[in-house]
Amino acid sequence: MKQEILLKINGDEQELFIHTNRTLLDVLRNDLHLTAAKEGCGLGECGTCTVLMDGVPVKSCLVLAAEAEGKEILTAEGLARGSKLHPVQKVFIENHAFQCGFCTPAMILTARALLEKNPDPTEEEARRTISGNICRCTGYEDIVSAIMSASKEMKRTNDGNKDE
Amino acid sequence: MMAIKMNNFKYIKKSPMRTDGKMIVTGKAQYTADIFLPGMLYVKILGSPFAHARIRKINVEKARKLSGVKAVIRGEDIGDKRFSFIDTPAYPADQTPLAIDKVRFMGEGVAAVAATTEAIAVKALGLIDVEYEELPAVFDPEEAMKEGAPEIHGRIEPNTTTAWEDFGIPRTKSRSYDAVHNISNRVFIENGDVEKGFADADYVREDRFEVPSTAHAALEPHAAIADYQPTGKLDVWLSHMGYEHKRFWLSKLLDIPISSVRVRKTYVGGAFGGKISLFAFEFITALLSKITLKPVKTVLTREEVFFTCPSARRMIITLKTGVKRNGRITAQHVKIIDDVGAYRRSSPTALYLAHVFRNPIYDIPNIRHEGYGVYTNKIFTTAKRGHGLQQMVFAVESQLDMICDRLGIDKLEMRLKNLRKAGDILPNGDKLRSYALPECLKAAAEKIDWKTKSKRKSSFKGLGIGTASMFSGAHNYPFASAAMTRLNPDGYVTLYTGQTEFGIGVDTVMAQIVAEVLQCPFDCVIVNSGDSEVSPHDIGNWLSAGMFVSGEAVRRAASDLKNGMSKYAAEGLGVSEDDLEFVNGWISSKSYPAKKLSFSAISKYGIQMAGGDPLIGRGYTKCVPEVYFWNGKYNKTASLTSGKGRFTEAYGLAAAIAEVEVDRETGKVTLLRLVVADDCGTPINVKSVEGQIVSQAVMGIGDALFEEVKFEKGIVMNPNFLEYLIPTAADIPEIDSLIADSYEPNGPFGAKEVGETSRAAAITAVANAVCDAIGQRIFSLPLTSDKIRHAVAGKDGGQS
Repeated sequence: MKQEILLKINGDEQELFIHTNRTLLDVLRNDLHLTAAKEGCGLGECGTCTVLMDGVPVKSCLVLAAEAEGKEILTAEGLARGSKLHPVQKVFIENHAFQCGFCTPAMILTARALLEKNPDPTEEEARRTISGNICRCTGYEDIVSAIMSASKEMKRTNDGNKDE
Repeated sequence: MMAIKMNNFKYIKKSPMRTDGKMIVTGKAQYTADIFLPGMLYVKILGSPFAHARIRKINVEKARKLSGVKAVIRGEDIGDKRFSFIDTPAYPADQTPLAIDKVRFMGEGVAAVAATTEAIAVKALGLIDVEYEELPAVFDPEEAMKEGAPEIHGRIEPNTTTAWEDFGIPRTKSRSYDAVHNISNRVFIENGDVEKGFADADYVREDRFEVPSTAHAALEPHAAIADYQPTGKLDVWLSHMGYEHKRFWLSKLLDIPISSVRVRKTYVGGAFGGKISLFAFEFITALLSKITLKPVKTVLTREEVFFTCPSARRMIITLKTGVKRNGRITAQHVKIIDDVGAYRRSSPTALYLAHVFRNPIYDIPNIRHEGYGVYTNKIFTTAKRGHGLQQMVFAVESQLDMICDRLGIDKLEMRLKNLRKAGDILPNGDKLRSYALPECLKAAAEKIDWKTKSKRKSSFKGLGIGTASMFSGAHNYPFASAAMTRLNPDGYVTLYTGQTEFGIGVDTVMAQIVAEVLQCPFDCVIVNSGDSEVSPHDIGNWLSAGMFVSGEAVRRAASDLKNGMSKYAAEGLGVSEDDLEFVNGWISSKSYPAKKLSFSAISKYGIQMAGGDPLIGRGYTKCVPEVYFWNGKYNKTASLTSGKGRFTEAYGLAAAIAEVEVDRETGKVTLLRLVVADDCGTPINVKSVEGQIVSQAVMGIGDALFEEVKFEKGIVMNPNFLEYLIPTAADIPEIDSLIADSYEPNGPFGAKEVGETSRAAAITAVANAVCDAIGQRIFSLPLTSDKIRHAVAGKDGGQS
């Protein structure tokens, strides 16, 4: 059965006419060619398909596209403002927090969601938060360091904004 | 002199950020599955439900008639076109892209469909009717070797030249191979007098170890896109770690010139040694594009990756070692059974590498190494980060600990006593010019406080050591690497290298090398890598050749450009070349610093004043320069079966020490600390090197404690990440990565192999630490909590 749905992705409205059994990941990648979210397993086990739905990380391979209607969806493509990287993106580069990069867009979104909720996480909290996102390359250490420096960086920027 | 130079690096031994970082963090980096071409078709491959069966008939008529299906092919449509990974005259290829008469493992492809959507392709597979006659199967290699076991291959008759003949390597022509007792290949290497060595020993023991398959689990599932042009040109996008092998086999199987195959640059989501050889699905993708003249895409599901793409080698190792009372090893006899699965693939290499990779570790005067590849009805196996190394190291280091326990020798002392030393020449002629393994081991021991902790007798806490060594490339096809540099009118320098960026930061380190040679800002180097059409030949990123071989080619290409630029700068400035120095993107006179030209000005000078010379640099090198084969003449080429000949020019090395605590009730292992010291020569990019060490160490933790591809009657029982566990952020202990900067004189700026050794060393360090903690030996990987509980429970009757 097909259905018309309206998705709001990275601030843009997208009208779609799709089979109701299709996942959000499938639609993002194959209909909209938003390929930052990856399909590493298709079963919600690896986390590479993570996107934010109303600010909450979800595994988009387990979410039906129709369920995402009416929610604000953010993918890694929507994170930077023009050419200005989001602080989490910036610290991932600075901390060498990726190798092959396949898990990185999802990892960055997961980290962003954590920092929005808890701007000052402990290393243990950062570790726990990303333990649902598998990375086969880095051994995670640099990812945890990146999240910790993003926390500092974002606090500094926020304090700066308050002063202005 | 050298020491002064080392301290004066401007771009080397630094940690510039990855040149592709912005692409990756913004999600703009395109992996193969992310690419969509207009009018693209999608492929699905039908796999066999049986581990061993004769194919009676395949009826594809219904599938062909389904709307949206553009092509359906079977093995018989392709014909008896064989391919392999290591395909030598003694061991001709034994595999076809789709099975023709017989399937030999569950999941083996029998037919493939290209359709306008993936859903239609899946539906079409359901309409294909295959008649099988199930055959008796054999899954255990030792059973397969017995008289009367089901015959998986029988006689293999070559029907074309082997790859090695095409490359010009062998002295002999290919011959038929009889897989008697399902033996697919063998190796026999002997140095010294083993019998005498055992006779001289005060203590001899023999043990049997088993290492199961572990998955590479690269997060990007395997994928391919092929776009065959009406002109006869084939464009492919692959997830790989070096394009030359892929290009060679695609050209051979499709019967088109190798120059017509263009492997395009892609981002690669992890390879870990598993993506150098051709996959059947890659050829099928290309063939379907050739048949339909449309772009064709195949993306495997995770389950398909587990079922049809090879994981790491499964080995049974019987190890007999003789030692003097003081701990000096006198002799060792190794017998390996490599459970190759349905096809031989690279087993001849793995069995040889299992010996030669560890050759530089211990100085064992008398050694015999024999190995047998054995066919079974399971998915075949392949290389993974130290092909054969970690299996051997696990056996050898486990047994050394048992010997130490028995003789009451300190485990660190025992190893230090037997290690080779810098300057040693190995039995095959390889020289250990740079060799900091003793320093690595001592540094790791100091970091973990071996002296105090090894004397501690607290129960259920333990320490373990692992060591490893690895090639820095070998003379593999295409046997050498080349690189080109080009000066642009704006003064930027473009580098062309065939190295493939599959996640290890290749583009960044190559840019560092160019910037160091030319002393130009790092940002002024543009790296064009991994495109077979624009890059000169490249050995590929296997056997750890990337830095030592291709990095040196890049250094030479930059030096060549520098020479050309110096000549014109001297002319343009009216000074001698000796008087010039390259500083921050300028070339200036040392005597008259005001006399200087920018890189941009040099480019213009070449064009206007030197007959249009655009300034192009070239560089090339072989891994082992003295090895050659040409026109019936051979010099020191390596033999896979006897271990003679030169292997490599420099070895990377590592030592690891782990400290663990084991819960005696649950068998749960807590890794308290893991120290890994890696001798990689000069670390070109320090953060990248540390990243490689930690990466390998963490993978090693998984190998040691829980990773295993499980089979039942030939079926992979855990083909997903819920049942095949890999380390998460929560599993990682404190890891110290130490870099022993040994300066390899033949490497670019002193660099050589990094990382592959760290995995093997880490696996064994963790395994030995667990066994130390429980006072019992576990002879197979992984050391799961079940095995540990079992060993603890049987303590009184267990082996020690």
